[in-house]
Amino acid sequence: MGEVTRTPPAERLLNLVIALVNTSTAMSKQQIRTSVAGYDQAPSIEAFERMFERDKDTLRDLGVPIVTVDPGGHADEIGYRVDQDAYALGALDLTPAELGVLSLAAQLWQDRSIATDTSRALTKIRAADVAEAATDIVAGLAPRVSAAGGALGPLLDAIGTATPVRFGYHAANTGETAQRHVEPWRVAARGGGWYLIGHDRERQAPRSYRLSRMVGSVRLAGAAGEYMVPADVDVDAFLSTAGGPEQVARLAVLPERAGAVRARGTVGVTVRGHAPGSTTPMEAEAEVRDVVEVPYGQLSAMADEIAGYGAAVVVLGPTELREAVLERLRAAARLGADRG
Amino acid sequence: MAERADERLVRLLGLVTYLQSAGPARVEDLARRFDVTGAQILKDVDQLWVAGTPGYWPQDLIDFDAASMERGVVRLIDGRGITRPLRLGTREAVALVAALRALRETVADEDGREAVLDSVLAKLSTATGEAAAALDVRLSPPGRPDVVHAIRTALSSGRRLHLTYADAADNLSERDVDPIELHTRDASTYLLAWCYRAQARRTFRTDRIVSAHVTDTPAVEHDVPRDVTFRPDDDAPVVTVRLASSARWIAEQVPVDAVRDLPDATFEVDLRVANRVWLLHLLTEQARYVVDAHPPDLLTDVARDAQAALDAYAAFDPAPPTLG
Repeated sequence: MGEVTRTPPAERLLNLVIALVNTSTAMSKQQIRTSVAGYDQAPSIEAFERMFERDKDTLRDLGVPIVTVDPGGHADEIGYRVDQDAYALGALDLTPAELGVLSLAAQLWQDRSIATDTSRALTKIRAADVAEAATDIVAGLAPRVSAAGGALGPLLDAIGTATPVRFGYHAANTGETAQRHVEPWRVAARGGGWYLIGHDRERQAPRSYRLSRMVGSVRLAGAAGEYMVPADVDVDAFLSTAGGPEQVARLAVLPERAGAVRARGTVGVTVRGHAPGSTTPMEAEAEVRDVVEVPYGQLSAMADEIAGYGAAVVVLGPTELREAVLERLRAAARLGADRG
Repeated sequence: MAERADERLVRLLGLVTYLQSAGPARVEDLARRFDVTGAQILKDVDQLWVAGTPGYWPQDLIDFDAASMERGVVRLIDGRGITRPLRLGTREAVALVAALRALRETVADEDGREAVLDSVLAKLSTATGEAAAALDVRLSPPGRPDVVHAIRTALSSGRRLHLTYADAADNLSERDVDPIELHTRDASTYLLAWCYRAQARRTFRTDRIVSAHVTDTPAVEHDVPRDVTFRPDDDAPVVTVRLASSARWIAEQVPVDAVRDLPDATFEVDLRVANRVWLLHLLTEQARYVVDAHPPDLLTDVARDAQAALDAYAAFDPAPPTLG
């Protein structure tokens, strides 16, 4: 005791919570500094102020709101205390099976920042509920999920506090990367990926953005509460208009090739190629292809994938998909020519 | 790895709250409940034992029964007023409710398990309120509906699967696998499984599974890592690709070893790729942004394959009718 060892923050925070829970009315900063274990380590008033502000923020983030008490009258220092009734988690009265399901669900997130949130939530619930967890009911069925990049945590914070954000965005249709200034409303995951839905300040209209196309980090760009998050957002309506209606690609696929494309589509008749400029089908067995019909949502993603298969897959239609693939193949063919 | 102070604080407060309502508990039961080691619980108790209200005289401190501690039982004598469990923070509630909803959807067509999920969702939603709407997760693994159904059936009934799989290099293979779990990563979902053909843990992208049949053989438990993060292959040769600045997002989606910005606003990425076919696919897809690559034969191969593809397109000009 009384050595030069610094009090670990968890211990200081714990002593602060206990002190502020037990104070009869409230504690002034001066009282906290001189009496709560850990704050005597602060070398100056300024250092104490910084320490106390940070600890207060940490506790608020953890769900322990410190309320300020105006002493009124002649006293000139405001006081602080913790009102346990105001912050308590009501008993959930979970059954063992329910607690088990919750423990499994908490393992869903693989991203570190959001996994921290679920494990902390679980610690709180385990402290509040006396039931023992039973896990067998959904064992093996619990999926694991990684969101794209590190954007999810900051976006959820921004939605929670209604704070506008800025981020770099790689637009699929133009190929350009540009800064976006957005009021975030919802983050949604659908079979096709992760999306932010919000109000685009430059375009003055609601827009959706794929998280995987965000470049660099998401930064807060405005004050908390600067806008209202709408209570009802029809996520599916937004995403279906954003992705455009689903189309069906007609592809001529060499036998045994492009297994992943075949897996998603229906294989129909066979076709033969013809000599350029002629309508006569070629005789060579090598030119017999299966016609495979595959649904797709995003033109650019589909064109990327098909171009990757090279000669194994030829797009018969629609024309815009054929042209998009040809554009990629011509660029690829030029990569050799440039190096002559 | 050092634990974050705030994580520890939540558990320290949680331990006191739990012991208040549940009564004395064995160290190993506490360890299981809070998902830490028994040694950590003992450290936590030691920490709590010296915490208390200002003054910090013995009667001011949180107190445990030393005699029962000797027997490995934690009995709280004085919790110094820490009696209420902490409420959930906004992000915590959001993350947990979204995870439950995603799980709820996974067991959508199962037998009676959904009742448990519905009741826990209802209880949690009441406790968390509106905030949970911020995150809306619906996971439907991409792929053939019959394949997805077979995977879910095999997972829930614990049976072996027979798969036909098309890998990233476009090779078809037949495999028997014991399914372990589904892992969604952005737009793709992977089945993590023990593969009998490879005699090793393998991940299969669900939309590359051509067919899946549930066999009558029970699946065996396999003790394998659950992490499916893709990392550069240490044994593979390094290739360098120089890209236009507008292709920056590639560096964030492909596992790269290093990224270097160049003075002319282009940038270079180093990749370690064991699968050359996959790399050629990537270079063809992104050819519009590729400035250079090393070794240079990569680009000659890409260009040759692309020219062959353009020739194939000429043979399937849309103007003349194709034969049925």
